Amino acid sequence: MFASRARGLLDFCMAVLCVWTAYHHTPAGALVRKASAWAFSSKSTARPLLAYYDGMTGTSLAAPMLAPEVSLVRPLTDAESLAWGTHLALKGLDARAREPSAALAQELGIPMDRLLDSVEGPVAARRLHAALEEDFPREEARLTALFVGRVPARYAQERVVAEGGEPTLESLNRQLPPGFETASVGAAQALALSTAFGLAWPVSESARVSSPFGERHHPVLGTRRMHTGVDLSVPTGTAVSAVAEGVVRRASEDAVNGRVLVLDHGRGVTTAYCHNSELLVRVGERVTRGQLIARSGNTGRSTGPHLHYQLELASRPMDPLKFRASVRAVSHDNAP
Amino acid sequence: MPLGLLALVAVGVHAAADTLDDRLVALVDRADAAFDGLVGRYDVTAPMVEWVSLELRTRIARILALTWELAADLVLALPALGYREATTAAVKPAEAWRAALEGPKEKPSWRALWRRCLRQPTPMRWLRPLATAAVVVAGACTVAKLMQGTVYLSWRELMGDQISDWVARGMALGALVGVLATLGWRAVLRNLQHADAACAQARGGRQAFTRGLLGCAVVVPLALAAVLDATPLLSFLR
Repeated sequence: MFASRARGLLDFCMAVLCVWTAYHHTPAGALVRKASAWAFSSKSTARPLLAYYDGMTGTSLAAPMLAPEVSLVRPLTDAESLAWGTHLALKGLDARAREPSAALAQELGIPMDRLLDSVEGPVAARRLHAALEEDFPREEARLTALFVGRVPARYAQERVVAEGGEPTLESLNRQLPPGFETASVGAAQALALSTAFGLAWPVSESARVSSPFGERHHPVLGTRRMHTGVDLSVPTGTAVSAVAEGVVRRASEDAVNGRVLVLDHGRGVTTAYCHNSELLVRVGERVTRGQLIARSGNTGRSTGPHLHYQLELASRPMDPLKFRASVRAVSHDNAP
Repeated sequence: MPLGLLALVAVGVHAAADTLDDRLVALVDRADAAFDGLVGRYDVTAPMVEWVSLELRTRIARILALTWELAADLVLALPALGYREATTAAVKPAEAWRAALEGPKEKPSWRALWRRCLRQPTPMRWLRPLATAAVVVAGACTVAKLMQGTVYLSWRELMGDQISDWVARGMALGALVGVLATLGWRAVLRNLQHADAACAQARGGRQAFTRGLLGCAVVVPLALAAVLDATPLLSFLR
């Protein structure tokens, strides 16, 4: 009698545990939460359904991905890139998600205002990284510690090691219980931004930018359209190099982009190279920084030889020049 | 209990689907490249090349992952609830709900089911229970992981680092074993019974062999992903 009741209670407890997990951590649970919120006319606390597959890029969340407000005067070191990425990602978070970083800043005597300041922020963020470097030598674990706090980050790191995996930001975030989602997205954005700051340039630094990023009058279609990359004026046959190590995600040809290459550099960073005359790598191939990957050309919808270089962070096009140190003369002649 | 089974399957399926979205992005990329190559051949269709941006491709991949996950939930969780399609000839319409809730009257034992699996093997009889087992183990690992993280991080200030760590580890292991011992085997048995009944209803060996193939195609890749990427069983002992 007692054994049967105890078994029943155990069954019940385990069922409740599973329902709790499913309710908070699966899209099916989110659907139930949304439906009940709709039925009771209350506000649902469930994340958007697609955010449950977010991995590390945070694209499904509304937090804005910020580009630096001030121009960079010199190329950044790795540590500076990380500090810039951290500063910009912190600016995009709400006050509650910034709490762990604020606590760490307070420990070091850094006012939060300074951390968010456009000029002093990166320097202050570098101090935070320096304070965490001893306990978290790897960049991704350090960013986790900075955005979610030391204790959760150490816990996540130990769990990843126990699982025998690499402590990437994604694997670390997977170990954290509910409540850390927004801060984790902040860490992912910081990593993507810092990776973008560390990218090389696909052609010679002296190549002229013939059409910048942003709204423009399209030279072929004659309508106003968003130009999602920068056009670099280079002669046909110019060597195009990989801006960072990565994997070839796409190597194809079509009537608009011509011969196009897309490289996935991980950490939510993707680059594309369009209108090439020749592609020198294949889909799935791993490339190293500076490796010759294509020769520029005039293929696809193009009115002259050039390279269309595109940078995407968390699948969103960004202006690559915002992440470059050297300031170039940019002509606005709308050449494609 | 049925709700617990449903939740366990849903958690396991999500743990598996979560590891597949990057592969789906690569698949969508390839499909889009092929589509662009096709429509780019003609001037009239060339503007269609710009339909799908990288952001949209990522979104499509996630929608595919979500659809896949919900489909797998349906395939694996409904039998776990005891649901079984009733034929209109056998059941009066007014009592269809009762049949749906109660399922078949006589439930064969593990031994009888195992014997039929060996003597009359079909993809459904083998793949559905095995897929359920894989998903259930992944689900139990997720529940245990969440239990460990929640207990450690919320009890640490109260009990100190060392004690809360041991308590969290113990509770995670307890949750893992408890979920598998109370719900896990039931989910597998339900699916095995459902597969057996569905195959037994088929007319002839060929129909039994092809029965439920679509469902198997939906759940087998997820089960593989669950086994390869979402079942860190030993991590709870380290």
